Amino acid sequence: MARDAVGKNVARRSVLAGALATGAAAALTGASAARASTPSPAAPRGFHGAHQAGVLTPKRRVAAFVSFDVTAGDRAGLADLFGALTDRVRTLTAGGVPEPLGISAPPADSGVLGPVPPGGLLTALVAVGASLFDERFGLAAQRPVRLGTMPAFPDDDLDPSVCHGDLLLQLEADDTDVIANALRDIARHTRGAMQVRWRIDGFASPPRPVGTPRNLMGFRDGTANPDTTDTRLMDQLLWVDAGQGEPAWATDGSYLAVRLIRMLVEFWDRVGITEQERMFGRRKDSGAPLDGQTETDTPDFGADPTGDVIPMDSHMRLANPRTAQTAEQRLLRRGFNYDRGTDADGNLDMGLVFCAFQQDLERQFVTVQKRLAGEPLVDYIRPFGGGYFFVLPGVRDANDRYARGLLG
Amino acid sequence: MALTGAAVWQLSGGAGAAPSAGGTSGQQADGYSGLPHTLVQVSPGGCGAGWSSGHTTTGLQVFDISNSGIAPADVQLVEPASGAVVGEVEGLAPNRSRPLLVRLAAGSYAFRCLQQDVDAATGPTVKVTGAGTGAGQGTPAVVPVTQQDLIPAALAYQHWVAGQLPGLVTDVDALHSAVASGDLAGAKQRWLTAHLAYERLGAAYGAFGDVDDEINGPRSHDTGFHGVEYGLWHQGSTTGLEPVAAKLLSDVRGLEAAWPKVQLDPAVLGVRAHEIVENAIEFELSGRTDYGSDSNLATVGANLDGTTEVLTLLRPLLISRVPMPRIDAAMAAARAQLTAAGNTPLGSLTQPQREKLNAVFGDLVEQLAPVASVLEVRRTQ
Repeated sequence: MARDAVGKNVARRSVLAGALATGAAAALTGASAARASTPSPAAPRGFHGAHQAGVLTPKRRVAAFVSFDVTAGDRAGLADLFGALTDRVRTLTAGGVPEPLGISAPPADSGVLGPVPPGGLLTALVAVGASLFDERFGLAAQRPVRLGTMPAFPDDDLDPSVCHGDLLLQLEADDTDVIANALRDIARHTRGAMQVRWRIDGFASPPRPVGTPRNLMGFRDGTANPDTTDTRLMDQLLWVDAGQGEPAWATDGSYLAVRLIRMLVEFWDRVGITEQERMFGRRKDSGAPLDGQTETDTPDFGADPTGDVIPMDSHMRLANPRTAQTAEQRLLRRGFNYDRGTDADGNLDMGLVFCAFQQDLERQFVTVQKRLAGEPLVDYIRPFGGGYFFVLPGVRDANDRYARGLLG
Repeated sequence: MALTGAAVWQLSGGAGAAPSAGGTSGQQADGYSGLPHTLVQVSPGGCGAGWSSGHTTTGLQVFDISNSGIAPADVQLVEPASGAVVGEVEGLAPNRSRPLLVRLAAGSYAFRCLQQDVDAATGPTVKVTGAGTGAGQGTPAVVPVTQQDLIPAALAYQHWVAGQLPGLVTDVDALHSAVASGDLAGAKQRWLTAHLAYERLGAAYGAFGDVDDEINGPRSHDTGFHGVEYGLWHQGSTTGLEPVAAKLLSDVRGLEAAWPKVQLDPAVLGVRAHEIVENAIEFELSGRTDYGSDSNLATVGANLDGTTEVLTLLRPLLISRVPMPRIDAAMAAARAQLTAAGNTPLGSLTQPQREKLNAVFGDLVEQLAPVASVLEVRRTQ
């Protein structure tokens, strides 16, 4: 949901987002040496880097979240799977001429993106679930210490068929054909080793008319995200580093909470505007906190100790009380809206693929989630799926691959 | 569209056949503008004109093959010593040009041109030298298979089917008797036996013609095996099923009688080697053809038997052309997973069982896909 964190530097952040898009991040993380073709100007960064793309990179217009169960029979098969995934994501990200196979086999590429797929169209992220560290592959001792199975929170209504998974693929692009092609290609090369468990597609709305994009309740979502260009802050809030008690291989990874949250939009549309705004704690039109004028204004909870202006149980106030003690609980929200058909009542099934990146699930997502329990907004949303995942460290260069530190 | 046509026309009419670095509109139309391009002419008098030693490069490149003859041509880039093909353009019309994308390792190559009703012509051998791509690192070279090569396997398969048909007729006869006598339990058991006997013949369906649809059409339960199945399991009695079973019996007897005169097209064997499993996934593992017997997994087992038979007969041709150990391993994995699942109804498989099954069969069809590619019948002379 529209979970809030401390709002700061928003104007600066939007300026810097442009710099990010033109290669600042590539310089930060090392540009791809294996890139086979000229990247499109929109490419946020290459495939290689200490961290994976798809966390700090700007959201693209469409996304697919695909959870897989690993069917490989042993550890060697799992290592082969990560090798194949690395090879395919590297190739799909870089674009270039698909390898000719002559008369030895059917074509290597679907051709969906043309004879020579352009580079830079895809951003992909690979994360793993706690179940990968069960007895099957002998990895129990290597489990990231803060990775568990997502529990059902008090307001949840979880459907087991769309929860958890051994491996999560987050695919992002500006056009849907890129996602379709990527998933098809990856599945083709990994069929024997993993199978889709669940999938949900999302989209990022453009600013309406300006500012942070809106969710399907009509409210801006992500206004108060921490500044992703602040490297020090990202190290404090997002990235796993030595000294946190994690296994060595996990350094430069991150934790991802995915929550599939249906919004009961018909019900919501029958709620008065004042009540809607009091549930969020923000104005619907401008996104301003109820005590402010513009979206970027910081709410002053101290001046409103009894919640006369911004109700004590409003989503914004519960999610991020903006105190020194709760600063370390902030997380990076990077969700996508979803819209996928109707239910038996004839109501639209739409909502949010909530994604939050963080260093410590318990300290950040879970703490915030517990504070939100029973908030007035819960009557209008229904969390029904998702899971906890660990974002693997980045693939550093042409000789590296996903999970090399884990599997050797 | 019009622009592309004009560009191709210009390209094919162009007299200059020197290697080009790309950049003409014709080359941009193929999308490979960043790669080295070489214009190659195909005509009755000259196969591969335009490419010569001294103007070569290793690595990824495009030959823009232009047919300046008056008849359609198949053009192959071959390793002359072995006759192995690294790339081909099939059915190139006169006055047309098409790009042939290949990655060349250092070595010797020549173009082979096959025009209708004319002997094959092989162009000059061109020695490709250069750094960056060692032997074995180019596009895989595969010795093409001719109609002649496939005939022994086709005859052997025809013989194998001939040996299976009497058993099928016996099994269907027993099914018919049980149905006619009102023996529900016996009919169910004999239905399974007879249906599996038919499902083992997976590579022959094409040769059976339209009667295959009557016997085992996956989309209906009006006739044939699925008609009897629907009646036995859904209505729980044999009432009214005797005519359906009798028609089925007469159809399979017809197959047996006609089989000696059937000429199996050798070209289909390679395709069927992967299509049997493709169909098993589409119609059986999906549950699409379950009309009550819950026997899809047993059917898939019979389909694997049929695939095994085809692969056994084709093995001499495949061994040097595809990675057989990987295919064998994928076949074994599919068989093992099927055995582990037992002949349980699809619906009662657990999610991990179902995922494993999908994984091994998904992998199997990927491994089998090259079989049809390398066994496609090609002219060489």
